[in-house]
Amino acid sequence: MNRWLKAYIALAAVFLLLPMALVVVVSLSSAQFVIFPPPGFSLKWFARVLQDTSFMRPLWNSIQLGLLSTIMAAMLAVPAAIVLVRRRPPGAEAIQTFLLSPLALPSLVLAIALLFFLSSIGLGNTYIGLLIGHVVIVLPYLLRTVLAVYSASDPRIEEAAYTLGANPWRAFWRVTLPAIRPGLFAGGMFAFLISFDEVAVALMLSNASNMTLPVSILGYLVNNYDPAVAAISVIKMAIVVVVLIAVEKFYGLGSLTLPQRGGTASHG
Amino acid sequence: MMPNRFRLSTLAFLAPAVIGLLVFFIGPLLLNVEVSLREQGGGHGLAQYLRALGDAYYVKVWLQTIVLAACVTFFTLLFGYPFAFAIARSRGPVKGFLIFLIVTPLLINVVVRTFGWMVVLGRSGLINGTLRAFDLPTINMLGGWFAIGITLVHVMLPFMVLSIASALEGIDQALEQAALTLGAKPAAAFRYIIWPLSLDGVITGTLLVFSLSIGSFVTVMLMGNNRTMVLPVMVYQQLNLSSDWPFAAALGMVLLVTVLVISGIQLAIGRRLRRGQA
Repeated sequence: MNRWLKAYIALAAVFLLLPMALVVVVSLSSAQFVIFPPPGFSLKWFARVLQDTSFMRPLWNSIQLGLLSTIMAAMLAVPAAIVLVRRRPPGAEAIQTFLLSPLALPSLVLAIALLFFLSSIGLGNTYIGLLIGHVVIVLPYLLRTVLAVYSASDPRIEEAAYTLGANPWRAFWRVTLPAIRPGLFAGGMFAFLISFDEVAVALMLSNASNMTLPVSILGYLVNNYDPAVAAISVIKMAIVVVVLIAVEKFYGLGSLTLPQRGGTASHG
Repeated sequence: MMPNRFRLSTLAFLAPAVIGLLVFFIGPLLLNVEVSLREQGGGHGLAQYLRALGDAYYVKVWLQTIVLAACVTFFTLLFGYPFAFAIARSRGPVKGFLIFLIVTPLLINVVVRTFGWMVVLGRSGLINGTLRAFDLPTINMLGGWFAIGITLVHVMLPFMVLSIASALEGIDQALEQAALTLGAKPAAAFRYIIWPLSLDGVITGTLLVFSLSIGSFVTVMLMGNNRTMVLPVMVYQQLNLSSDWPFAAALGMVLLVTVLVISGIQLAIGRRLRRGQA
């Protein structure tokens, strides 16, 4: 890297990290308002937010919704990925494109369409409806990662299992599943984070009792502008960073985000 | 037992995902089309679309939406390309750090990031706090296109950088070395070797960023004012404040068709560029 590029990267790093760093600083402020620089530091906003059920319940809702939608999406994505990669049925390409297509749609359009649809079948404003919406959103992310990892694994190990007399179930359990586990794990973490962060669908489909954290922060921010938002945001960031570090540890961020041709994935 | 292409289990494995998406993805979209065609009195027609396209205000909002997304796409490309280049050219821990730098914001909620920029740009925020410390006049930067633009560029930058970086990673550095050895200036090596070979990533990135930013509404909702109305925010307002379902559905369709048409145009331009370079 030459000097100019280095200087540019330093500037870009400031640009990328500045808003997040400021959120952390503001969350530790002792002031009643968002003011810069803060007159002093305290943990009182964390104490307030941790006692506030209007933040803590949505936080719990978001974690639950993220886990449930990820598990359900995995149950749909794994069998589909196995068939698409190994058996290549007629139209596999088209089916794969179809299963990934929710990615191409503005999420707000999907959100209003789901709102109309779910209310017309009596699931408007229900937890089931919200869960369905999030499964549709996270399914493509999960499928994409599992497809990538499974395509890269050697089909001969499964053929060997069959030759050695394993039945399909046993071959799946002992050979296929271990082969896709890294993809399933990383894709699952990624899917969880997508659901955990999703705003549009949750905004349209959730109600007061199953509201997710981003929706509750958004609602709070529309009417208030105080360090409580910063404190709950820092708690949320901490959860995301923990998950991110877990992904990195088990799988490597580079290989998740930079699809490369074969072989050595860069562990970032 | 070799895999058979037409086995019942093939269907059984694919069916849950395919049927699930047919019912809960295609179904809602079709219903959305139907809702958008509803007219007062129970019939179906194009009344909602004529209402949207016949009113100068709605047309202006539509154009603003497109221009905003185009500007955000342009600036993320401009600022993202060098960053992607740095990722592709670095190794080891530096590369890891750069990837971490670009991926972390991607996973922090857009609501939180918008709040972060409100702290940077706000009346009592970082910039104005600094100005005040030097007894300089403060500037109100919130509530306008500038704040929305800078926040959206921040939100979209990772998508652009990752798309371009994965294309740049694939370029054999020997090609560039050869050009330089043969006397090409670095600018020429970039123009004739690196840029054409990275076009795929540029196209993927611009498509992704454009379609994401044309549909984004949180940032505009929190930072905008009456002048900075865009289609997604309007859809939300029609639904939540006016409870006008058919009109919201029609505006949603306008948004969807706009994204599809402009993405198609971008793809066509990309294809032509690639052919021109070949």
